[in-house]
Amino acid sequence: MNALPWAVSAGLLAIGLYGMVTSRHFVHLIGCLSVVQASTYVLLLAAGFRWNAIAPIFYSFAPGTPAVDPVVQALVLTDIVVGATVTALLLALVLELHKRRGTLDPDQLRPLNRDRKG
Amino acid sequence: MNARARLLMFLFAWAALGPAVVVLILHLPRFGAHALPYGDLINDSAPRERHVTNAVSAVNFDYRGIDTLGEEFMLLCAVTGVVVLLRSKRGERVDAPAGRVEARSLRPRSDAVSGVTRVLAPVTALFGLTVALHGMTTPGGGFQGGVIVASAILMVFLGEGYRSWRKSAPSIAFDAAEGAGAVLYALCGFASLLAGLPFLTNFLPLGTLRDVFSGGLMLIENAGVTLAVAGGFTVLFGEFLEETRVETRDDES
Repeated sequence: MNALPWAVSAGLLAIGLYGMVTSRHFVHLIGCLSVVQASTYVLLLAAGFRWNAIAPIFYSFAPGTPAVDPVVQALVLTDIVVGATVTALLLALVLELHKRRGTLDPDQLRPLNRDRKG
Repeated sequence: MNARARLLMFLFAWAALGPAVVVLILHLPRFGAHALPYGDLINDSAPRERHVTNAVSAVNFDYRGIDTLGEEFMLLCAVTGVVVLLRSKRGERVDAPAGRVEARSLRPRSDAVSGVTRVLAPVTALFGLTVALHGMTTPGGGFQGGVIVASAILMVFLGEGYRSWRKSAPSIAFDAAEGAGAVLYALCGFASLLAGLPFLTNFLPLGTLRDVFSGGLMLIENAGVTLAVAGGFTVLFGEFLEETRVETRDDES
């Protein structure tokens, strides 16, 4: 139980990286990148967790009640927003790539590919 | 390098790093039972010094406000990047007909979808604004609220179709909202400079604890973030939607 959150995070990282390594399609690769990113959410939230504590919001509970770490939660919030926009940017790049080269298979997109069009 | 070689290298690296990861996991502090010095410090000082009950917002908009400024500009850069990439080829025309797959019949939108979204979109927008407005007191804030507002705008497209959506939600309004949000946040920082204080110092009256309008300068920063996130996500959605319209320009294809 003690190692479970860390193992989940490492597992997500491994799954995402495996997907990226074996990826045959750039959209699939971006999905795998999101899985890698999800591992950082789990890691950060697990690092700031504390048993029998409230969320770091002292509206219904008086200030001073034991609460989990707000710093990592703020980091995860940043992480999610930036992750979403970077995913959008990557997808836009992929769209352009597909318009120019007609394929999204990394193996067919080598820089020295002779049959590329202009 | 072919796929097989890549996989072999990955497995080799994982075999080398895997045991280290396992040892590391077994030696990490006990889950949920170790000291959280920074968190405790913020939890203690946010209600006392900043008069806000949401410590996460206090970190985002005050204690590490400059990080959020950086994040704002990262958001702005990513959205600008998408717009430049996609519009550079497509242009800014928004009158192209919808792209459609050959041999697939075009079904009219059902009245049920229109009806449900007409009820849900305003409620969702209101909910998003509530979440954004209460960011200093209860769970929420500009990032979360902004995304909910953007999804409400998306619902208008779902229920009313492309043309009405473009008419009621012109792209330029959301481009402007995205930029204005980031500028508003940066101006908050410069305002404190003008007041003779360090950048992003919270110099406005802080209000009373548990009040919606507590937090001083954080409220304005929060409004800037709401604008930027709602605008940014709507722009992103609009740009990708435009990609599904048929190219009618002659220099293409």
